[in-house]
Amino acid sequence: MEAVNNHLYHPNQMEDPTRSSKDRDWVIARIEGMFERIVDSLIDGNGQLAITLKTRAGISRRKPHTRNVESLPPAKIREINFPGSNEQEAWRFTVLVRILELVHGCLIDNTMMTKRDLYYRHPDLFGKQAVVDRYVDDLACTLGVSRCSLNVGMLVPKLHMNDTVDLSFIRWILVIEKEATFRSFLSSSQWGTWCIQGLALTAKGYPDLASRKFLGRLADDSPDIPMFALVDFDPDGIAIMSTYKHGSYRLAHEDVRPEGTGALCLPQLRWLGVQSHQMSRTPVTEGDTDKDAISEAQGIMRLTTRDRMKARHMLDWDLCAEDGPEQDWRRELQTMLMLNIKAEMQILDELPGGLASWLGTELGGVSGGQTAMACELSDDDMLF
Amino acid sequence: MSKQYLTLHTIDNAHPSDIYSLAPTKSQILSASGSSSIRIYSSDQPDFPLVQTLEGAHTLGIHHLVTAKENNRAASAGFEGKVKVWSSDEEGVWKEDGEIVDNHKPGDIWAVALSADGLYLASSSINGKVNVWSLAKDEGLPKIREYETKGSFGLCVDLSADGRFTASGHENGSIYVFNNDSGRLSHSLAGLVQPIRAVSFSPASKLLAAAGDARIIALYDVNSGEQVANFTGHGGWVLTLDWSNTGEYLLSGSHDSKAKVWRIETRTCVATHSHGDKPLWTAKWLPKATRSEMFALGGGNCAISVYREAAG
Repeated sequence: MEAVNNHLYHPNQMEDPTRSSKDRDWVIARIEGMFERIVDSLIDGNGQLAITLKTRAGISRRKPHTRNVESLPPAKIREINFPGSNEQEAWRFTVLVRILELVHGCLIDNTMMTKRDLYYRHPDLFGKQAVVDRYVDDLACTLGVSRCSLNVGMLVPKLHMNDTVDLSFIRWILVIEKEATFRSFLSSSQWGTWCIQGLALTAKGYPDLASRKFLGRLADDSPDIPMFALVDFDPDGIAIMSTYKHGSYRLAHEDVRPEGTGALCLPQLRWLGVQSHQMSRTPVTEGDTDKDAISEAQGIMRLTTRDRMKARHMLDWDLCAEDGPEQDWRRELQTMLMLNIKAEMQILDELPGGLASWLGTELGGVSGGQTAMACELSDDDMLF
Repeated sequence: MSKQYLTLHTIDNAHPSDIYSLAPTKSQILSASGSSSIRIYSSDQPDFPLVQTLEGAHTLGIHHLVTAKENNRAASAGFEGKVKVWSSDEEGVWKEDGEIVDNHKPGDIWAVALSADGLYLASSSINGKVNVWSLAKDEGLPKIREYETKGSFGLCVDLSADGRFTASGHENGSIYVFNNDSGRLSHSLAGLVQPIRAVSFSPASKLLAAAGDARIIALYDVNSGEQVANFTGHGGWVLTLDWSNTGEYLLSGSHDSKAKVWRIETRTCVATHSHGDKPLWTAKWLPKATRSEMFALGGGNCAISVYREAAG
């Protein structure tokens, strides 16, 4: 595994729909219940603190279809005590409490962490990544939820030459700049149906090498699957998209490609949004009062001095030159400067049905809409 | 009573990208866009042919371009931060006169305006400062006035035809009128709260029109500073304003592609036109050469459309 900062959501990891009642609040309550037990023990003063875990460690965790939980071998139940019988057990308890605390914090703030993020909070305590991986998985197993429900994302896997990735169900790949939007998209009811045919990924801002390598590999393997970028309408959003599409913008600007990095570009990446014309579609109630104008302005922000400097700097890129390949970027950067505005992708949430519905319309055209899903299985072979 | 304007001619693909500024002279329409060139179309001939291209005027694109009403001078401001001054000979051939450099850090200037005689250039800036330069070439285009405001981005600026006043509109909704003779603030006008994207003096310098994101066009008396009228009807942000030669009509253009003509006397909208489905960045009356009034529109659809008042 690479040290990466990414979340990947794949249909194989999707939550079992029958478990939809186990929402975030439910998971929070369960974790708090575990803490309460510990506190009760402390108050009672009976000496031993305990957390009961279910684990599938030792059982192969690489089952391709975890959706049917019933078919899996039963999990083993083990108790972790403090102080326990030895130092090792005391350490295990400490690790688990700390992970519970971090996961609880993520759930309360509704933010997401990767296992790698968790590890780096206390590398000295955890010792190695595998410890975090194991206890997070055990915790998910104990609560009977997917790891995603713990707000712990999956790392983008490092693919080796001879690994194969099954993308036969995938009709589109969506790269989302922002974690918050990624989360809200994934928790939308629409994702429940789309996750069969789509793959969503976020790298929380500027992408690292691992996510670019991963996407590059997917693009190499399946060049026919369209890949889309959803970024903020601001200079950074376009710069982030540029990093995905053309690699590091400094290199792109100088048109220097060190050997072996060619595959790190995604020339076919398409700009799904946010673009200026999509903002003006934000519904405005007809009328001429101040109130309407203000409501429209919500979500639209002024450029900072840094934004303006950055936009001006980006206009200087070869990519955005008059005869460069990214005329749309040039135009949108100029539009930002002309109007002195920017907008976060959350502005699309103001559209009827919200962001997820908007994405459905935009991506629906690609996948042939939801009706296409029914015949997808039989069409499998045609995709490759 | 409404007025009828007919499309006289449309120059399709007048520019390869959004047209941000149109600047007419008596026989030409100068145009600027997100591309690097200034393109000059003849308004003397029925098909408005391209007569000159100032290649590479501003590599990163041009956000403002203005002409003097009574002199063959123009000024352009580019995204790279430079301001260039241009002049034309009797044949109508344009060449560069120089750049504004005196007390000017590249990138400070945003909007520009020229006095009718082409002797003064006013500018707004991102830090809210409003400046006036003399365009006397032998003096090196010196800065002659510097007005401080509260620091909000000056999105638009205008100079009165007589050169006496400078007006600026700001992102925080402020509108200022400065007296160029005394070098002092004349009025801080009761603003529209939201960003002001266009200010324009009437030809007699008696009235100032201002508009922006509030979608209201406000008219002010320049001498008293009193607001004398409000025009409502635009559904989008108002991006551009221009007075007809006689001061009878005001032309406005908005982000939702609509142009409107307002009759000042009755305070009514007398005509509305759509310019495609992209932002309408610029709307300008053409100097009256014939009996009928004409105006030109430019915007995100990369075309320039010229309208003529219907006869009768």
